[in-house]
This record gives sequence, structure tokens and C-alpha cells, in this order.
Amino acid sequence: MVMKGPLYHLYVIMKKDLTEFYRVRARLVSMILLPILLMLLFGYMFPGNGTITHIPIAIVNQDQSTGAISVINSFIYMAQSGKTFNVITYSSLSQAEQALLEGKVYAVVIFRQGFGQELSTGSATVQVIVDQMNPTLDQIVTAGIQQIFSQLNVQLSTAHGFPAYFGTVSVNFQGLIPGAPSSFEFLAPGFIAMSVVMGGLAGLAMAFSRERELGTMDGILMTPVSRFSIVMGKAMAQAVRGIISGIIIVILSILLFGVKIYGNVFLMALILFLGILAFTGLGIIATSFVSDQESAQMIMLMLEMPMIFISGIFYPVLQLPWWLRDIAYMFPLVYTVTGFRSVMVMNAPLSAVWNDVLVLLIYSIVTFAIAIPLFQRMVTK
Amino acid sequence: MSYAVEAENLTKYFGSLIAVDSVSFKVKKGEIFGLVGPNGAGKSTLIRMICTVLRPSAGKALVEGYDIMRQPQEVRKLIGVVQEKLILYAPLTPVENLEFFGKLYGLDYKILKERIKELLEEVKLSAVKDRPVGTFSTGMRQRLNIARALLHDPKLVILDEPTNGLDPQSVRWVRDYIVNLRNRGLTVILTSHDMYEIDELADTVAIMDKGKILEMGRKEDLKKKYGATKIEDVFLELTGRELRDEISGRLRRRGW
Repeated sequence: MVMKGPLYHLYVIMKKDLTEFYRVRARLVSMILLPILLMLLFGYMFPGNGTITHIPIAIVNQDQSTGAISVINSFIYMAQSGKTFNVITYSSLSQAEQALLEGKVYAVVIFRQGFGQELSTGSATVQVIVDQMNPTLDQIVTAGIQQIFSQLNVQLSTAHGFPAYFGTVSVNFQGLIPGAPSSFEFLAPGFIAMSVVMGGLAGLAMAFSRERELGTMDGILMTPVSRFSIVMGKAMAQAVRGIISGIIIVILSILLFGVKIYGNVFLMALILFLGILAFTGLGIIATSFVSDQESAQMIMLMLEMPMIFISGIFYPVLQLPWWLRDIAYMFPLVYTVTGFRSVMVMNAPLSAVWNDVLVLLIYSIVTFAIAIPLFQRMVTK
Repeated sequence: MSYAVEAENLTKYFGSLIAVDSVSFKVKKGEIFGLVGPNGAGKSTLIRMICTVLRPSAGKALVEGYDIMRQPQEVRKLIGVVQEKLILYAPLTPVENLEFFGKLYGLDYKILKERIKELLEEVKLSAVKDRPVGTFSTGMRQRLNIARALLHDPKLVILDEPTNGLDPQSVRWVRDYIVNLRNRGLTVILTSHDMYEIDELADTVAIMDKGKILEMGRKEDLKKKYGATKIEDVFLELTGRELRDEISGRLRRRGW
């Protein structure tokens, strides 16, 4: 028994689109090649923690107490043995700040006068100024320094090589970008979500306007198939394609850049899937007003490009001015990126990202509820 | 009911431009109805309305008794259409193309398989059934395109410029096949720029210009009425000899 309902037709259209896509070598190759290119580009542009070594940082010691000197020596030892940093000692703060401005060092660690005194009575504070010109390096430096001090604190609290009455050291960072933890691990999920959504959109613009331009859309419209099946079948084909390209990109980022997946892959796939659907719905609405492929692609590009820069892929959404943040939250990419990143990097369970999932789900339903009748109107004029 | 198509005051506006202007006509079952007109006369728009792809601005039409606006799904099951643009996917093979459309028509898979085999033999493409359509010549593509239109066993076949750009052998094959369709009892609506084709094939001829049907009748009656020996003479008598392609250009720019 063969099912002949709208869902069957949806499946037939989806399968046709995917077969057609699979047959055209150029499209297939670009699906695999584009993510590789993007990953190479971004991977080397924003390198991970492990790939950058010997970052020069400055130390300024304003306290000549033995306590301060012993902590500084341990700090220098740890910083250099990990090969992450190259420590340069400056005698005055102004010299060190000058070096920071000139880009000779990427951070200045300041042990203020009275540091030793504070340490022997309880908690002492270290001041760190970080170069903000390069946000990614900034993140790596911050994370690296924090890591050294937390190791130092372990040694201090266990009195390992230090007097037992020493307290712990807290670090005070200046001028930090809020919200960004560190490294390529923060950026990778954003790139993955972005490439997948972009691929889906490009494919969609093709799928609809190409068929209208070629005349094959008429052929489908002349069959007794509901408009729901046509629109959803095409959207599903893009979603499936997106998931496949997502899998390729994830594998590549693992192999090439050592990106780790901490979370549930099915939840990641679900978020990507909904992200593509939400964007696809939006794309159908945007392109239903034009009938040729080129205009459709232009519209898609206009939709995509600003999204990429304000959706928390390159830097946290929090960093945007409020009005731009509000605009970002009106589009589905930010929810896809946030949700996907939380699951991939922070192992967030569904309960932690349910709001992103819900927004994407509602977004998909609403955009398709608009897109299907709009498509119907546009094709029959 | 002896009419395959009954159209009454069919009208289509694109913005302020009137493409089809209150057109009425009837197509008898089992005949070849030739629809001719210069570029931009409104033939394709008229046909797209009958095919339920375009929504008329006004008027109504019945296909085998079904209303094109209220019962489009029923109409779609009864008509097979060969448009000027080929409705085929170049990366897919003939079998895949036909299976795709057959499934959309809701044909049972077993019946569909049989039907595809039968049709591919009929249009002489059995030998290349597993090659991508993109590698085919224009003539082969058009033969497959015709097979696609016949997949669901339609009662009415609409052919819009079916011999456009084909080599003489393919043209001959298509023309013979059209006569064959009529002999099998199917109704055919044929549009063409080739007046000899219409003269050879059509039983009834409608001459359209500027969105209106100027003249319509049995081919022989029309010739007699205008004292002509060829349909071409009747056509030129009615539509004039000046060149024109303006309206069609305007519509094309709107994406039609």
C-alpha cells in the first residue's frame, strides 16, 4: 500500500531535489569544498589555544617583598614552561603600558605595592591589563593567565612551596570584553551554524527560482499536489542537505582544528535542523516577490550578510549596541548559534537551550504559515 | 457533454496590462484545436489559465466539466501539458523524471513502472532510459517531455509550440504523434507559429491577437470565408503584416 497524501508528495519532492543536487557534481563539490575553505580560513584566522605559543606578556613588580617575589617567580616559571607565554619583566608600569600600546606585549600583569603584605594576611589582588585590539588573542591571553593563577592558588592553598599562612591570589582584569570565554572553541560552533544556514539559504534561492525560471515549477504545479507539499518538500531537502553539510563541517573541525564536542549530537542536529527551517521559511517569504534566480540570490545575500555579523558568531551579542542587539534577536541565526554553541561546547541539555529551540520552532511554524499561502499567491498571480 | 473545454469571458490582467481580454471558446472532444497568434497575443497566458497555473482575473472555464478555479485538482488530473519550456530535470534520467511526475500524479508504483516502460518505447527512448536528460538532443528532450505529459493518461493534451527548435525528423515525429493522439480519442489544443503545422493538423482554428480571439471555426470554413487556400493567408489577413514583439517583451520582463 502506497501512501498518497501531502506527506508522500512532500517526500517525493524532497527526494527529487536531493537527487538532482547529488547528480550535479559542481554543486556537490561546493557543498563539501565551501565548508573546508571556510574552516581553513576561520581556523587559521582565529587559532585555538594550543596553536599560539610564546605570546609576549609583561610583568611589573612594584612590591619587593619576599612573598611577592616568590609568587612572581612561580608565575613566570608556570607561564614559560607551558610555552603559552613569553614573560618580559619591566621595572616601571609606564614602560610596560607603552609596550602594550606598541603591541610588543599583549598583557601587563601588575603586582602592586603591598601585594606580599596582603598575601600574608589573606587574599591579594593582581591587576591585569589586556590588549583589546585583537579580541581573539585577548580571549586566549585572559584564559591563559587565569589558568596560571588558578594553578598557583592550588599550590598556595596546599602550601606547596609556599609558607602555610599565605592566602590566595585573585585576578582583576581590566577592559575585558564580557561574555567571551576563549579561543576557537567559542568560534567554531558559530561558524558551523553559519555555514549550514548559509548553504541552506543559497540552495533554497536556487531551488525555487531556478524551477520557476526553467519552467519545471509549472510542471509540478500542474500535478494535483498541494502547495504545502511543494514548499515543505523543497525546504526539507535543504534541511537534510544542511544537516549533511553540518556533519561534514563538524568532522573537519574535529580533524583539522581539534574542536571537541562536549554535548549531545542529536540535540545539535535538532537545533541546526530547526535553524535551517526557520531561515528557509524567511527566505521563501523574501524571495517570493521575485521570479528570477539572480534577484533571489541578491535578496538572500542581503538577508545573510548582516545576520552573520550581528548574530554572535564573531563576538558576543552582548557587545552590540542595544538597537543592533534587538535587530539580531529578530532573526533566527542568533538562536541557532547560541543554542548550538551551548550544546556543543558547554554540554547544555535540552532544558538549558529549550528557549532557543522553542523560538526556532515557533519561527519555523510562523514563517511557513506565511510562506505557503504567499507561494500559492505568487505562482498563480 | 461534448466539449473538452468551455471558456467564457476569460480575462487576465498583469497589473494594468491586459494579456487575455474576455475570451470565449469551446473545444470539442476528440479534435485538434489550433490556437494561433503573433508574439504576445496572449496564447500562453490563456493556456496557463486553462492549466490552472495562472488564476484568471475574470471569467470562467470548464475542463471536461470541471471548473478550473473551483476544482483545479480535478482539472490537473485530466490534462497533460507540453509547454514551450521543457518540464524536465536535466540531471535526472528519463525514468527518474517520469517517476517523479508520476508519483506527484499519485499513480500506483507498479502501474507507473509499466506506464513508463510503455511510454519510453512509444517515444523511442528506451535505449537511453538511464542516461541523464542533460546529455539529450533537443528532439529527444521534447519526446520525453511529451511522454511526461501523457503519464497520467490525460483526456486533454495541451501542446504549446511543441515543434519549436526541432530538426525536421523530430518535427515530423511530433506531428505524426499529435495525429496519433487524436486518433486515440484524445482532445488536443495546439499552439504554433508554424501556419503549415496548423493547416496540416488542426480541425478547428482560433486566431488570437492582442488578447482577443479574432476568428474561430473549422479550418475549411475559415479558408472559404476569407477566400484563402492556406490558413496563413487567413491569419495575415486578420492580424496584419507589421512586425511586433512589444507586448511579449513587456511580459517577459515581468518574469512570464
